[in-house]
Amino acid sequence: MSDEPTVLFHKEGAVGRLVLNRPGVINAFNVQMRDDLFAALEAVRDDPDVRSVLISGAGERGFCAGADLTEFGTAPSQVIARQVRWERDLWGLFGSIGKPLVSALHGYVIGSGVEIACLCDLRVAAEDAVFRMPETALGMVPAAGGSQTLPRTIGQGPAMKVLLANEVLNARSALKLGLVHRVVERDRLEEVSLELAESLSKIPPALSTAIKRAVSDGLDMSLSNGLDLECRLARSVALQNEWVHET
Amino acid sequence: MTVQLETSDHIATITIAPSEPGGLVGLESVYSFSEAATEVRQRDDVWVVVLSSDGNDFCLGASPEVSEVALSVGPLSGQVRIAQALSDIEKPVICAVQGRVQDHGLEIALACDLRVADSDSTFAMTQVLDGAMPWDGGTQRLPRLIGRSRAMDMLLTGRRVATSEALEIGLVNEVVEQGKASERAMELAALISGHGPIALRYLKEAVLNGMDGTLDQGLRLEADLSFLLQSTQDRNEGITSFLERRDPAYRGQ
Repeated sequence: MSDEPTVLFHKEGAVGRLVLNRPGVINAFNVQMRDDLFAALEAVRDDPDVRSVLISGAGERGFCAGADLTEFGTAPSQVIARQVRWERDLWGLFGSIGKPLVSALHGYVIGSGVEIACLCDLRVAAEDAVFRMPETALGMVPAAGGSQTLPRTIGQGPAMKVLLANEVLNARSALKLGLVHRVVERDRLEEVSLELAESLSKIPPALSTAIKRAVSDGLDMSLSNGLDLECRLARSVALQNEWVHET
Repeated sequence: MTVQLETSDHIATITIAPSEPGGLVGLESVYSFSEAATEVRQRDDVWVVVLSSDGNDFCLGASPEVSEVALSVGPLSGQVRIAQALSDIEKPVICAVQGRVQDHGLEIALACDLRVADSDSTFAMTQVLDGAMPWDGGTQRLPRLIGRSRAMDMLLTGRRVATSEALEIGLVNEVVEQGKASERAMELAALISGHGPIALRYLKEAVLNGMDGTLDQGLRLEADLSFLLQSTQDRNEGITSFLERRDPAYRGQ
């Protein structure tokens, strides 16, 4: 069991496919998965043949049931745990990837499952998907960016309800809130999400990187600084296009 | 594209009519638009602005020449950037759209404060399909309006959004029967122009600038502007007319 990689990685054309692979425990997120996902993300980031990424979960029951609670409190000390958190900044690594990231969500999408999804650019959900952030009920706060990414994804009001009251969202309400971008029948999830990732893989990497930076970094700035950033990025994209046409 | 400016009853109406092939905005039109925008900004008798378009489509984007010029100058120059020229107007700007609202056309609509759409309108940022990206605020104003997640969807896929979805995600404020957007925008302008013009300008400043800073900074800006308003004759007129149970007659002083 421990020899089986907790994240599977393969390429399908220009799409890098990552599959969370602990189906026996609904892909609960553990230390091993953190390390495997970190390595897989570095691989898709650095592989020039990979132009977009699709993340999904193995098994019938769900995308990811959240953090593996059996491992809680097993770190040697909080000092080391905190150090590792920033040395292996998986969540920051997501943000550093300029290629379009798509997640395919089915069944249980709980806690860190929601947080992984929120770090992707586009989310496709199967009709059976249910979303929940259980952290406060467990006496914790989300630690994979959920308190930051969720309000930025669905707005402050709805995020508070999900985070404080552990509200359960089904696929339809997730679509209405903008937590997911498409909802499809369960048996079409694979096809639709792969199609989306394939179409996004046609965007030149420099362009997708520029658009993602303009939106993400731009929202952290004043509008005028954001406009300045957009202008510089658009100019560099235009210059690269010229350069490509000339050579 | 030709640019027409008319004013009456404190409402300035800017009407654009795309003249370039393919309904694109050409360089000459950008310059005349910039002049019109400067005029409505400076005129004290203009309190509210309505922007509409004469074509079947609101606007399909900018000509390659316009993009080239815009990218060669700084980002905040309203001289060559219609959306920037619009956002420089401190007064409320209402936009009426129909048909395709696309690329630079959508960036223009995003720089307005309220958007009224004909039921046949569609909205798209398709620059990505041509290997390009928005340069007149599209990547900044779209996420601020509909959220980063939905903005990323439109920007990365270039997909077309119909009015029902546009209304649901807050991309437009109102959808009206086909052919009625300009009329409804004028109705809204008439309603808003009955309000105190200084209050309107400060309100716009508080919302837009307030979102640039921390909540605490925004609250302070709001309070400062509110205190400043107490010193105006219009504020006095607002209270007096209320007590006298009559309509206020604001003068912008």
